[in-house]
Amino acid sequence: MERFQHLRGRTSNLFLESLLIVALAVVLFPFVWIFVTSLKPPDLVAVPDVWIFEISGINWRNVLLESNIPQNIINSLVVGVVTVLIALAVGCPAAYSFSRFKSSAATRFSILAAEMMPPAIMILPIFLLLYQLSLIDTLWGVILAHLTFVIPVVTWFLIGFFDEVPRELEDQAMIDGCTHFQAFYKVILPVVRPGLAAAAIFGFVLSWNDMFYALILTGGESKTLPVAIAGFWTFRGVEMGKMAVAILIAIVPVLIVSFFVQKHLVRGLGGGAVKY
Amino acid sequence: MQKPDLSLQYRLMLPLAVVLLAVMAYPLIFSAWISLHDYRLTRLTDVQFRGWQNYLGLIENQQFWTAITNTMTFVVGAVSMEFVLGFSLALLLHRVRRFQNFYRAILLSPMFITPIAVGLMFRFLLNIQLGVIPHYLDKIGIYVDWFGIDLALFSLMLIDTWQWTPFMLLMLLAGLESLPKAPFEAARVDGASPWLIFRRITLPMMRPVILVALIIRGLDAFKVFEYVYAITRGGPGDSTETILFHIYKVGFRFFRMGEAASMAYVLIVITLILVTALYWSMKRR
Repeated sequence: MERFQHLRGRTSNLFLESLLIVALAVVLFPFVWIFVTSLKPPDLVAVPDVWIFEISGINWRNVLLESNIPQNIINSLVVGVVTVLIALAVGCPAAYSFSRFKSSAATRFSILAAEMMPPAIMILPIFLLLYQLSLIDTLWGVILAHLTFVIPVVTWFLIGFFDEVPRELEDQAMIDGCTHFQAFYKVILPVVRPGLAAAAIFGFVLSWNDMFYALILTGGESKTLPVAIAGFWTFRGVEMGKMAVAILIAIVPVLIVSFFVQKHLVRGLGGGAVKY
Repeated sequence: MQKPDLSLQYRLMLPLAVVLLAVMAYPLIFSAWISLHDYRLTRLTDVQFRGWQNYLGLIENQQFWTAITNTMTFVVGAVSMEFVLGFSLALLLHRVRRFQNFYRAILLSPMFITPIAVGLMFRFLLNIQLGVIPHYLDKIGIYVDWFGIDLALFSLMLIDTWQWTPFMLLMLLAGLESLPKAPFEAARVDGASPWLIFRRITLPMMRPVILVALIIRGLDAFKVFEYVYAITRGGPGDSTETILFHIYKVGFRFFRMGEAASMAYVLIVITLILVTALYWSMKRR
């Protein structure tokens, strides 16, 4: 009897795992397909049913050497890095303050509410302001716009990390003669370094992925990568191959770094409602 | 020990307050002002005050209501599918211990990539002439035009489900893992069936997490833009015209910014209602 029960448990587990593998296939199929498409020679790109063909590097060569995509990559990198640095600079002390001093739940929550604001409301005045300052089609505009959602997210993330550092740590430092501020940046900041890294990566990914603001605020040379990708949207086969390459360039780095921040993500997204 | 330095609390918050005020408060106030004017980018020297006219105009604006209805349909449809699938996957992953981290890492991956890439990938995957999926469906005798007038909005929901079910999975799996073990063991000892355990213990205990996940995802789904921009541009007809895409069109294609701003403010009200709901459901924990 015992043995049968055991066996039943095992077969049902196999069944469950096969369901998971189906889900895995659904998730992976578009990635595989886009990768295969990027290696197709131009005349085969528009043919759906070809899986065996002579691998061609022409799409990759075209995109990397003869298109604006490298410039777009640099633009996206600059925007992401500058946005995240500013967000960390202002978000870090504030998050510490939220975590250590009494602040009402509502104040804390307003940080999250700021992130939820629909971009439609921000874009009109930001656009008009930049238009009057002649900063349309520059990266400054996008950085400004991205700050509206990267700052709240990064701050929210960091509150959670500071909450986890025991107060005794800075108490001890202050007994040893540090001022509270010194205790914060000499003792606490180094302790939350992994948290800073996770928040930075997450903020960067949000900025890197945005298309709405960038679509309206950039053009020509200043286009970010997602805007440039949207530009490949014609149905001509050749463009499709190039588009596949550009998409891979946009998603592969993000997928790689995402594996490192996944375990911190629940806190960042769920806003303290869910704790690991 | 030194006394905690109270003024430090405010000094540490100052940079954040200044920057947020600059990048958020200013736009919020300015767009409220715009929404009360006949503000057109093509007529910047002649901006007329219109009072509540822009808002009143929305009541009879058929396109606006179509966009709202489309967006609501999209949010309810997509978020329900994501919830059911995400919860199922979370329960599955919670049970399967072998390779759990591997499965989880792969299953979560769609939520990290840029939505415009997802939109374009599916535009080509589902395209009636070039796409792989219609091609194979055709071979087994199923002919579906995924972006035709009947199915376009539903196809966009499916794409959203592909990308955002991982978010539900992430939240709900974390919720499941943080549940105390004792009630489950007690129920099992008492011989309760898995279905009864799920209904009477798992579901009630997961309620707060479920609520938070649904609201956050709902708020986010409300902002759907990239799939529409990449694939249908609102069509066929206006069957996939969502609210953010409509505002984008009115503001940046037709340059009627006053009207666009008033729509955006209606959107803010909807958002605030949902955010308040989120606040209460989080505070109750």
